[in-house]
Amino acid sequence: MLRKFSLNLKKSFFNQHPKLLLGDWLIILFSTLSVILMFQQFWVTTPASQFKIRQGNEIVGIFDLNQSRELRIKGALGESHISIQNGRVRFKQSPCSNQYCVHQGWLTRAGQVAICLPNQISLQLMGAKNAYDSLNY
Amino acid sequence: MRLLSLLAICLLITSCTKPEPIHNTQSYVFGTLVEITIYGEPEEEAQELAGEIIRDFQALHNRLHAWRASEIKSLNNAFKRGSLPATIQPDIAAIISDATTLSIQSKDAFNPAIGNLINYWGFQNDEFKPIKIDDNKIKKLVANNPHMVDIVVKDGKASSQNPHVQLDLGGYAKGYALDNALQTLRKHGVRNALINIGGNIIALGKHGDKPWRVGIQHPRKPSAIATLDLDSGWAVGTSGDYQRYFMLKGKRYCHIIDPATGYPATGIQAVTVLIPPQTNAGTLSDVTSKPIFIANPNQRAKVAQEMGVENFLVIESDDKISISADMAKRIKWTDDATAKYVTQIQP
Repeated sequence: MLRKFSLNLKKSFFNQHPKLLLGDWLIILFSTLSVILMFQQFWVTTPASQFKIRQGNEIVGIFDLNQSRELRIKGALGESHISIQNGRVRFKQSPCSNQYCVHQGWLTRAGQVAICLPNQISLQLMGAKNAYDSLNY
Repeated sequence: MRLLSLLAICLLITSCTKPEPIHNTQSYVFGTLVEITIYGEPEEEAQELAGEIIRDFQALHNRLHAWRASEIKSLNNAFKRGSLPATIQPDIAAIISDATTLSIQSKDAFNPAIGNLINYWGFQNDEFKPIKIDDNKIKKLVANNPHMVDIVVKDGKASSQNPHVQLDLGGYAKGYALDNALQTLRKHGVRNALINIGGNIIALGKHGDKPWRVGIQHPRKPSAIATLDLDSGWAVGTSGDYQRYFMLKGKRYCHIIDPATGYPATGIQAVTVLIPPQTNAGTLSDVTSKPIFIANPNQRAKVAQEMGVENFLVIESDDKISISADMAKRIKWTDDATAKYVTQIQP
């Protein structure tokens, strides 16, 4: 029943476009391939759309960046306040004494990472494709 | 034919979205973030192996800890008391011997015997606070002249001819752990993996059909300044003034202390070294960046050569970047504008 329906659909589609010949299909195939390949090749860093929070060895969750919200995550020392604001995220408050994580500021691009070592919490921005597999620092 | 084309496109799209056989484990060991990425192995096995490596790291960390009860701490106590030679494990003896060789090679710029100085500056701590700097005290600590060659290892026992020798393997242990982990992975037949201990990274195999790619942290921005492809067996390490430091009266004091002066190295933000495959590539990626970091700016290339480092990158405190010819070929700046600040070091 379903197969029949889809066949019918295809038939009527081709009938309405009788001039779509082999060459046309090759062009469609070629352009689709090009788009996909170029996307993979050139889309090296992307604005991130989501980010991951980890505490210790655990993934706390994956959160959408396109929102305004504050999260409180319990870590090894206490609560870290994480601020999400329309496409970006940062450590806003932290119980650690150095405050390196807070000084890191806003993260916006895929692959960016902010880590609070004392509180063992990390933020990692995710995109269609990361610019690198791991970070040397 | 038409249907075939459609099918081809569908196949292509689905093959692009298929999840990669990649496993990623993160944990906190050595007072820093550890990340293990394994590619192309069944998820369950990769997870188990990553867990085993993390446990090995934790065990090593506990044994080498410089300021909590550990084998090294007991040894330091024995050195301080000037007591009879203390029994040590064979692998600890090997570490001491290897670290001594590297210390001699660096003309003591890499000196893991200065635990007392590191402790004085407050860097033997999980968190760093400004200290009250007493120039006389620092002079005294330097004059105590602790060196790796003061340690005598014989018949599985160690003693020190200088009671001021206090081992701190903070600039060695992470690299050493990388080498161990690589061995463990190979032993289990893993062909592709990337291990990162607090920024020190070693690569095994590839990420799919591409080499593993690492980002190099910008010393002053929350992003990568460049990317670098790591071929199998290569290791990369950075000494920087931005991960462990404290600020006092607007001045930055980083954790890398010049053993000759007793003060933190200044005038520099970061040194990154890239080490080709060899049995101790991880260790070298950890150790060799320090002498270059401490050296006078006009001596860096010479010191790198003495440490056998061909690939390195230096970011001075005025943001000027110098890079060795070999490394320049491999690096890709994230921002084209960075290239303006770069000069190539002539060999």
